[in-house]
Amino acid sequence: MSTQSPDSFVIDGKLALPYQYFAGRTGSRFLTSIRDEKKIKGLKCEKCNKVFVPPRQTCERCFEDISENWVELENAGTVTGFTIIRYEEPHQPFKPPYILAQIKLDGADTSLTHIVKGVALSQMKTGIRVQAKFAKNSTSTIMDIDHFRPIKPKFELGYSYDELEIGMSASFTKTITESDVYQFAGISGDFNPMHLNEEFAKMTPFGTRIAHGALPQSLIAPVLGMKLPGLGTVIPEITVRFRKPTYFGDTVTATAEVVEFIEARRWVKLELTWTNQRDELVAEGHAIAIPPTPMG
Amino acid sequence: MSRRVAVCATAQIKNEPDIWYQRFQGMLFDCFESIVSQTGVTFDMEKGIRNVVTCSDDVFDARTISDNGLTDVVGAHFRGEEKTAQDGINGIGYAMASILSGHDDIILLIGHCKESQPESRHMCTNLAFDPFYCRPLGLDFLNASAFQARAYMEKSGITEEHLARVVVRSRQMAAKNPYARKNKMVTEQEVMKSPMLSDPIRELHAYPLTDWAAGMLLCCEERAHEFTDNPVFVTGFGSCMDSYFLGDRDLTDNFALKKAASRAYQMAGVQNPKDAFDMVELNDSYAYQLPMWAEGAGLVEEGEGRRWIENGGMEANHVNTSGGMLNGNPVMLGGLARALEAVHQLRGEAGDRQVEGAKKALAHGTTGPAGQHHAVLILEK
Repeated sequence: MSTQSPDSFVIDGKLALPYQYFAGRTGSRFLTSIRDEKKIKGLKCEKCNKVFVPPRQTCERCFEDISENWVELENAGTVTGFTIIRYEEPHQPFKPPYILAQIKLDGADTSLTHIVKGVALSQMKTGIRVQAKFAKNSTSTIMDIDHFRPIKPKFELGYSYDELEIGMSASFTKTITESDVYQFAGISGDFNPMHLNEEFAKMTPFGTRIAHGALPQSLIAPVLGMKLPGLGTVIPEITVRFRKPTYFGDTVTATAEVVEFIEARRWVKLELTWTNQRDELVAEGHAIAIPPTPMG
Repeated sequence: MSRRVAVCATAQIKNEPDIWYQRFQGMLFDCFESIVSQTGVTFDMEKGIRNVVTCSDDVFDARTISDNGLTDVVGAHFRGEEKTAQDGINGIGYAMASILSGHDDIILLIGHCKESQPESRHMCTNLAFDPFYCRPLGLDFLNASAFQARAYMEKSGITEEHLARVVVRSRQMAAKNPYARKNKMVTEQEVMKSPMLSDPIRELHAYPLTDWAAGMLLCCEERAHEFTDNPVFVTGFGSCMDSYFLGDRDLTDNFALKKAASRAYQMAGVQNPKDAFDMVELNDSYAYQLPMWAEGAGLVEEGEGRRWIENGGMEANHVNTSGGMLNGNPVMLGGLARALEAVHQLRGEAGDRQVEGAKKALAHGTTGPAGQHHAVLILEK
């Protein structure tokens, strides 16, 4: 705004004209369908095989009248571009910062501009999948779509081959109790007295009962299947070499570390170690993992 | 082509952040008087100016039919007056059409814009969008350009470092241009640390708020000698409008600029734009646009904008010796400013920034969000 000068007035003005913009038949149908049916619709040019949104009566390429060729779009789509608004201006719908994005709805060939919420500004990326969230109170405008939010997958899959790196590691720790050993005997059918009968166990080289070797070994399963690579992983091979017995009450930590990429098959090799609370190596080995591939 | 169009004179005031001391009418009148005194042109209905082309914007002036507020000071009463509400470079195309068609011999072209007077220039450009699907979301020329900047940077590999070089150079060039907005010199580090406005556009990547007015006298080749000993000729002009909705466009394909350029090149007989011009002025409202428009105008191969900056292409092509739009011209006049600089260069009147022996120049203008409309002008000595 101008500075007041000693010999010049500045008259404040405001170009404001109450006005009713006529949305037209085509625009009205688009807006009422969002408001009343919560459906975003596009218009298809059959000749150009192109679906447009926002709606228009005529295809700009071939001038065909397309005003009756409504197609229902998915209320979900892919972000094709975005910016984070950080400057503040009166014409903005919210106080910045917020994400303004170009969203290509499934079934459309053009992008619609709208707000994206529910994703950290620093994590916003082109290509994410988003879904329309409709406003609680209608204003009969495009803002009846309140915003778009990222579509959260039903399951958070583990690391894909491309996301894994050499040196990544994960572990799981558990105290092995007498009751664990009894249950494992039942599960495996291995009622060997060295695990269950203290008097028999006294005669063994260990001098007391020890856990089944496969019991601490099994602690690697939650690591590989739920942490690294994580959900969706398939393990075609595990090798183990047992180094120390596990006594009742021992706390065992199973650790996996990515050591090698098997590029030809897009598999990875992990080094496995089992240690106890005395920092003794209980067992060691390796696993081959087929990391999860993104679904859909 | 039977006739050629000559630029006989240009006039401008200095680009400033806030011309609070003068109405736009006064700004225009200064340009008008300068042109009259340079050329001796009259408003004689037989021999003088019978048609004036003005360039202004209703929203920036907050009055409808914005040209109504200025016709008296540019001598437009009692004769033809046409307003262009696009970048003023299109007024040159309009003047060319009037003259080549034989409708008029002489056209006065004059334009203004004061970005300092509205509360916010982005509120003004928000009104360029449709009121149903885009305006409520706060779209304006800055955030529309941010979509384009991100897409172009991803596609071309242009980084913050490249943009910083564009900005620093713009200010260095502008320091040699007496009409350029006086800006602080900045370092590449300062550019890369300047506040983010609309990612990835930072404050120093955006042209600063500016007030300005400029004019030009154009006439048919046969009569140019009446007004100047040093005419410059318009030998090519082309323009093209891309789709209205941003989402209909591929924001990185330079569709409209390629079309505009090829039309201008065809008219001017330009075979290879890479080495056809002694200097080039591109309408870079935002830093990323300089390499992008250079690609679109065919000055470099598509996708080579990054290497063009790295290998000193901006210097080799003598691009934006004026400092460019990036140093500060108001919206609506970015392309007209480019044309004025090209005329200065071809007339050998560019002072410390003169490109020696410049004979052929390209000036480019753009209107609308993220380069929706482009115009390309070829000028020759």
